[in-house]
Amino acid sequence: MNRYVFYNFMLVSFINLMLYVPHILIQYRYTGAVSSIVIGILIGTILVYLYTSAMARFPGKGLPEILKLYSPKWLVSIMMFFLAIMWWFATTVVVVAYAVLINRFFNPDANTIVILIMLVLACGYAATRSTLSVMFVVEIGLIINAPIILFVLFKAVRSTQLSWDAIRIVANYVTAMPTLSCIAAASFIFTGYINLSLFNRLLPPNFRFKFRFVYPLFGAMILLITFFVPIGFHGTEGVAQYIYVWSLTADSLLMQYGFIERVLFLFLLVYLNLTLVYTMSGWHQAMEFVKSCIPSYKPEIDSPKTPLSNYVIVGIFALLSVLYLVMTNEKINMMITSYWLIVRLFVEIFIVIWVFVLSRKGAKAA
Amino acid sequence: MNERIRLLFAEAVDIKLEVLHNSEMTIEIAYIAPLCEENKINDFIIVPFTKDFYPFESQLKTNPDYRKVDDVAKWQDLMLRGNVLIEADGIIYSFEASRIISIENPQTQVESAIQGPQLALSEDLNISLNLIRSMYPSADLSVEEHTIGSLSKTPVLALYDQRRVDPTVLDSVRTKLMTINVEMLHAAGELEKLLVGKRKHLFPTILITERPDRITKALSKGKIIILLKGNMFAIILPATFFDFMHAMEDDYDAYWMTRFLIFLRYTSIVLTITLPALYISVVSYNPELFRVQLAFSIAGSRSAVPYPSFIEVFIMLFMIETLIEASIRLPRYIGSTATTVGGLILGQAAQQAGLVSSIMIIVTSVVAISNFVIPVNSLSFAIRFLKYPLIGISIFFGISGVAVGLFVYIAYLCNLRSFGKPYMRIFGKLRPLEGDVGQVKIK
Repeated sequence: MNRYVFYNFMLVSFINLMLYVPHILIQYRYTGAVSSIVIGILIGTILVYLYTSAMARFPGKGLPEILKLYSPKWLVSIMMFFLAIMWWFATTVVVVAYAVLINRFFNPDANTIVILIMLVLACGYAATRSTLSVMFVVEIGLIINAPIILFVLFKAVRSTQLSWDAIRIVANYVTAMPTLSCIAAASFIFTGYINLSLFNRLLPPNFRFKFRFVYPLFGAMILLITFFVPIGFHGTEGVAQYIYVWSLTADSLLMQYGFIERVLFLFLLVYLNLTLVYTMSGWHQAMEFVKSCIPSYKPEIDSPKTPLSNYVIVGIFALLSVLYLVMTNEKINMMITSYWLIVRLFVEIFIVIWVFVLSRKGAKAA
Repeated sequence: MNERIRLLFAEAVDIKLEVLHNSEMTIEIAYIAPLCEENKINDFIIVPFTKDFYPFESQLKTNPDYRKVDDVAKWQDLMLRGNVLIEADGIIYSFEASRIISIENPQTQVESAIQGPQLALSEDLNISLNLIRSMYPSADLSVEEHTIGSLSKTPVLALYDQRRVDPTVLDSVRTKLMTINVEMLHAAGELEKLLVGKRKHLFPTILITERPDRITKALSKGKIIILLKGNMFAIILPATFFDFMHAMEDDYDAYWMTRFLIFLRYTSIVLTITLPALYISVVSYNPELFRVQLAFSIAGSRSAVPYPSFIEVFIMLFMIETLIEASIRLPRYIGSTATTVGGLILGQAAQQAGLVSSIMIIVTSVVAISNFVIPVNSLSFAIRFLKYPLIGISIFFGISGVAVGLFVYIAYLCNLRSFGKPYMRIFGKLRPLEGDVGQVKIK
């Protein structure tokens, strides 16, 4: 059942393109991005190992249940509410950015708000399902889309247009000191493990985390491709001109023999699917965290009937997302995202250490 | 006894109430003539009684075929099921002599397989049970009887392998069968609706089949089979989406060929659901999606068509759906004529008249043909409907709408449960030691 853990990891590492991670890294390509990537990989790996080994001590329990075991309820409620906001934010940024992207590339004359409402309705419906259903949707979504992403990445790396010289020049700036926002962006690739906070509920009691060495390898590969391939295509200077760096990188590729000639469309469709899956998973987790603040809350992984509270909470999320689009523009969105990435890094380190300490304490007590 | 029976039933000429005498004793018999085998009554009651080689009274006591009836309330029921009631010395016995008219050893028609068992289930429960028992000779096969329908009193059998069955599923099926409250029940499809309970459902979550090999295979996987009297079809539950996509021949033919066929089925499902919607979105929203040559040939073939693409799609889909409906309802001989006339002549003419483009005709026929590839009919019907919501969303949002629609379908399918078991998920290998996701019930 390790694949179910890996799906979460893979989903988040693929979605980094929608959170402006490559854009942030590329802004700092001469001033610390490369060394930040190295440090980001290290931090990410350590967090993955700590969190998985901590969670292994609490089989079938989500983060709210674990915290409630040792801490007062009001503290847990505050924490969960804060986390719900974090999760809601992570996904809303992505879905709003994608609504803008559809408007740019697919339907230039459509209204962005209308597009966003369609996306939000679909994600909202999926997010109100039970935790088990959400996990199945994540699995199917990734099994359909991951091969296509890997195909695009493979095509990009093998392309003759890729300038290895440009990549080497940027790589040589490895000696520049790392910056905080770059580390935060780079370590985001590894942050899929934090979804275990909720999905640990699904894992059976005899579950053991295996093949953990895959996570750093896979994450590092994705991170390096994310950062270096656009530089190889657009050159060391030209690459900084784009916000949607990867959409334009995909547009530099051509499928000579396909129905669809431009890789861009394939890429956009696949990322649309991933965005939907990611938003669903994020909203679902945020919803469960909000629900865990309610005193009479009982965790349920596969309730036969969808409770009304699901619809209410996700409805509020959806409304807030539309509001977010109305209130912000791309520039503000990008700025907020880069701050959010930094906050996320610290919150995650905090959660991981907290749960890790609890797991050791629990082991001693038992 | 006969006086009381006369009061229990409405005036009916086919109720036989007789008094028989021989040298020793007098008995009364009562039965409904059309429901009983007259030969059986002769051989087991009238002849032995009148000849009286062996005292009939001790025969009644020793032979287990004559069952003692203590409860007067059961009389009506027994007679309506083709039993003969016998009164001897104030004791009432019942004797089963029912005659069931059914097709003898029917051939599989709905789900045919070229190689594999050709016999289908029978309308008679005993013959069906005979088929299943002989194909599944296991001591663990458990058979439970229920009666459904306050008027039709249809006997319903639930079969399962007692070692392999999932107890939670069994419990929920039992309670469902007990609580069903209807007057009449005649078809497996009716029972399916009652078992599912939801009034509006899109996908079939219970498999209806006529093939005994499918049934025995399901039994060996721990599923529950429900047989209905007077119905050639059995119900298998719980069912998953993949059961509906599985033809029995996939187990009988060569490995690579069947893998290819399964791949073909999934491809055609995707095609039949998305093609009309993709046509609309490519023609009206994103002609730049395809390579230039293809985009030009699509636009060229549409040059004579005077209205937007979705009207074209509606015209052609209306034609093809009516054709399919007509060819199912019509008698077999006229049916083929209807399809020829509709498919060949109308399609060609519609294109030449400039009502639809020639690409649209190809799209329509691909949609129709690939819909028929699905092996189980009930799923094929559900899939037939799925293209319309996608067409709707593609009119307003183009290709991104189609992708979002497909996502919603997947979410809906993953959300479905068939008796508490996930309907659609990727199963993969299960290590029994490790357990499955979502197995733990949190307290």
